[in-house]
Amino acid sequence: MKTILNIFRIILLILAQGLIFGQLSFGYGIHPMVYPLAIVLLPFNAKPVWLMVIAFFIGMSVDFFMNTFGLHASAAVLVAFLRPSIYRAFSPRDDYDIQKEPTAKELGYSWFLKVSSILIVVHHFWFFLLEYLKVSAWKEIIINTLLSSIATLIIFILIQVFFFKKPKSE
Amino acid sequence: MRKLTAFLRRFRVFLVFLILQILALSTYFSIMSYPRTRFFNSSSSIVARMLTWERNVTKYLYLDQENVRLQEVNAELERLLPSNYIPIDTNVSIINDTVRKLTFERIPATVINSSHAFTNNYFTINAGTEKGVERKMGVISNEGVVGIVYDVSKHYAVVKSILTEDINISAIISNSNAYGLIKYSGEDPRNVNLTGISNDIKIEDGIGVVTRGSGGYFPQGIPIGTVEKLEPIEGKPMWDITVKLAQDMRSLRYVYVVKNLLQYEIDELENNIQELKN
Repeated sequence: MKTILNIFRIILLILAQGLIFGQLSFGYGIHPMVYPLAIVLLPFNAKPVWLMVIAFFIGMSVDFFMNTFGLHASAAVLVAFLRPSIYRAFSPRDDYDIQKEPTAKELGYSWFLKVSSILIVVHHFWFFLLEYLKVSAWKEIIINTLLSSIATLIIFILIQVFFFKKPKSE
Repeated sequence: MRKLTAFLRRFRVFLVFLILQILALSTYFSIMSYPRTRFFNSSSSIVARMLTWERNVTKYLYLDQENVRLQEVNAELERLLPSNYIPIDTNVSIINDTVRKLTFERIPATVINSSHAFTNNYFTINAGTEKGVERKMGVISNEGVVGIVYDVSKHYAVVKSILTEDINISAIISNSNAYGLIKYSGEDPRNVNLTGISNDIKIEDGIGVVTRGSGGYFPQGIPIGTVEKLEPIEGKPMWDITVKLAQDMRSLRYVYVVKNLLQYEIDELENNIQELKN
């Protein structure tokens, strides 16, 4: 059941990225991206190798939409590679309950904000670094990373608020 | 051997990471080598179909704007109708229809997916081999040059936008015939750079930059933009020219693919240069 939910979520986020967020243009270097949320939300007990393989396919699908030829895939794999160590760094005292999902409702907004903002900044920085690939463009890389990260984080939080209902009282 | 397997097991995660990164990055950096990226873009049919659906929903938002534009083009064409003209002197009028030969055909297409915010931008149009689109054909809009066809499938084509670092379209400054190459620096989607123009050539702001028509991708004299800023490059006898694009790439919707009916002949002839030199 959870697997189906996750697959459904991944497909939905890829479509949202390809058909909506990838088509919007805000200018000023703002590129909000929703698809990294799919990697953030993968279950706690997913094996690191599988995380990266899934992330690779997510990134690849987004590349298909955006004509970016592997750029999103690379950034997504990096996020999946770093996810386990970042989650470990912010784990609660008695480790994660693998029954829970890595959402803000289950683990609190402060946890979600910390974890996802780090992953988003890493993702965007890597993405724009490869995109420009010039030392002389460091200003653009930093501005794009900062502005896009803020936009992405806002979208992540909005999605958490609107689409993830409170867990049923136990 | 056992040590090796132990090593591999320990670094398994990192190895998988490396392999996937190499896979992703090698596709990314081999943008230039055509066959490897062939199947890796939105002209692949499922994605293109979804993008077409999306376009079908959103296209109504721009109808007003498009109507105004169409009316303008129509008015211009109607001005050319023979019925609008009266013969002044029938004795000296020359009918030069037979003197000219059709070289360029235009295939209309709609942009179904585009980007303009990156350093290398591509867009997808809904015309493919079925409509006669081929690789390396020029793509223009009513306002000016927008790109060169990069990859074609049956019903779709991916176009390398003028906002691409290595677009290298040959352009001339309209009043001097000095020519250079158009390049994109990735900073501002409104502007491109014109490089290779020697700084002893007089250029003023606001002068038009048009295609040179070399290589046969574009007809001669298709507008690209106007000179916006002019700065000498330090240490080189060259101008650094910023060209404001005639077509705002951020609002690109309807384009024409330019088919050169004599392209084969040009290629054939230019290939001979090397042999003739020897």
